[in-house]
Amino acid sequence: MSIKVRLHPILRNRAGGQEVVEVIGRTVGECLENLESRFPGIKQKIRDNRGQLRPYCGIFINSEFIDSEFAYPEELTTPVKEGDQIDIEIFIAGG
Amino acid sequence: MLTKNDLTRYERQILYTGFGEEGQRKLKQSHVVVAGLGGLGCAASLYLTCTGVGHITLIDCDRVELSNLNRQILHYEEDIGEGKPFSAAQKLTRLNSSIEVTTVFKKITEHNASEIINGANLVMDGMDNFKTRFILNKACVAQGIPFIHGGVHGLFGEVTTILPGKTPCLACIFPEVPQRKVAFPVFGVAPALIAILQVTEAIKLLAGFGSLLTGKMLYFSGETMDFTFRDLVKNQNCEVCGTKEVQE
Repeated sequence: MSIKVRLHPILRNRAGGQEVVEVIGRTVGECLENLESRFPGIKQKIRDNRGQLRPYCGIFINSEFIDSEFAYPEELTTPVKEGDQIDIEIFIAGG
Repeated sequence: MLTKNDLTRYERQILYTGFGEEGQRKLKQSHVVVAGLGGLGCAASLYLTCTGVGHITLIDCDRVELSNLNRQILHYEEDIGEGKPFSAAQKLTRLNSSIEVTTVFKKITEHNASEIINGANLVMDGMDNFKTRFILNKACVAQGIPFIHGGVHGLFGEVTTILPGKTPCLACIFPEVPQRKVAFPVFGVAPALIAILQVTEAIKLLAGFGSLLTGKMLYFSGETMDFTFRDLVKNQNCEVCGTKEVQE
C-alpha cells in the first residue's frame, strides 16, 4: 500500500529536495526500508546499527506522535494503512 | 547615552544604515539573558558582548569539564571545575569592561525561571534539553519576553525567533518530544554558527531594524551546506500560548 512520508528539512537533500515522498509498506519499518531503497543514506540518519530508531528521531502517523515510552522502540512495527502519512522528525536538542 | 569610547568602539557597526547611534544606544540599554553557557551560550554571549549589549545575565548550573572544550569557547583548560557562568564572565568582562555581566550559578526550574528572566529584553536559548527550554518558553510567554531558540546536533542546527502573542511558541512548534535523553554528537562549528544567527536576530530585534526569523524555522546542515526553512504554525489550543490573544 502507498504511504506518504514527510521528511524533516535536514533529510530532504537525501531525497532530491522533496518534502513528501510516496513509499510502500505495511508498517513504519517497512516504509522506512522502502524509503532507503529509493533514497540511499536516509536510513543511516534515522536508525542505529541495530535497526532501531535513533533517540533524536520521532515518528508521527497522521500527526499523532507514536514514540511514547511504551512504544519505543516498537514504533517501527506500528501498522500503517493506505492514505496514512508518516512524518519523520529530527529533534535538534543540543546546545 | 553613548560615550566617546562607545562611539569609537562601535564605530564600524554604527556606520550600518538603519542602525546608527540610535541602534547602538538601544543595545546599550538592553538586558539579555543567556540561558546555558555551553556551545551556543558561549558563542552567543561573546558576540552580544562584542556588539555592546549593555547588560548580559549568564545562567548555567554546570561546571566546566574537559569534554566541553571542543565547542564551549569561553572555557579554557584552567577553568576545568569552575562554574560556567563565572568562567564565561571572566572572559567577557576582559573583552568589554563597559558592559554589565551578571552571573547566576543555578539550575533553571519552573520555580525560578520567571524571576531569572524578569526585566530582560530577550532570552537567548543555549540549553541542551527540551525540558528546560519549555520552562523558559513558558516564562517568556507569560512575561511577553522574546525568546530566540537555537538547537544543534552534529553538524545540524536550527533557529527561530519567538515573539509571545505574535508567533508560534516553542510548545506550538514541538507539542511532543522524545523523553529519552542521550549524549548528542556535536562539532564546535555547529553551535558557533547557530549562536551567531541567534545574535544576529537579537541585534535586529533590540535595535529595531531588518526582518526577523519569526513564524519559520531556519535549518542548517553542515554536511551539505544547505540552509532550509519551514513555516511554523501557531497552535490555537497550545497549553502555553493558545489563549493569550483571547485574553488580550
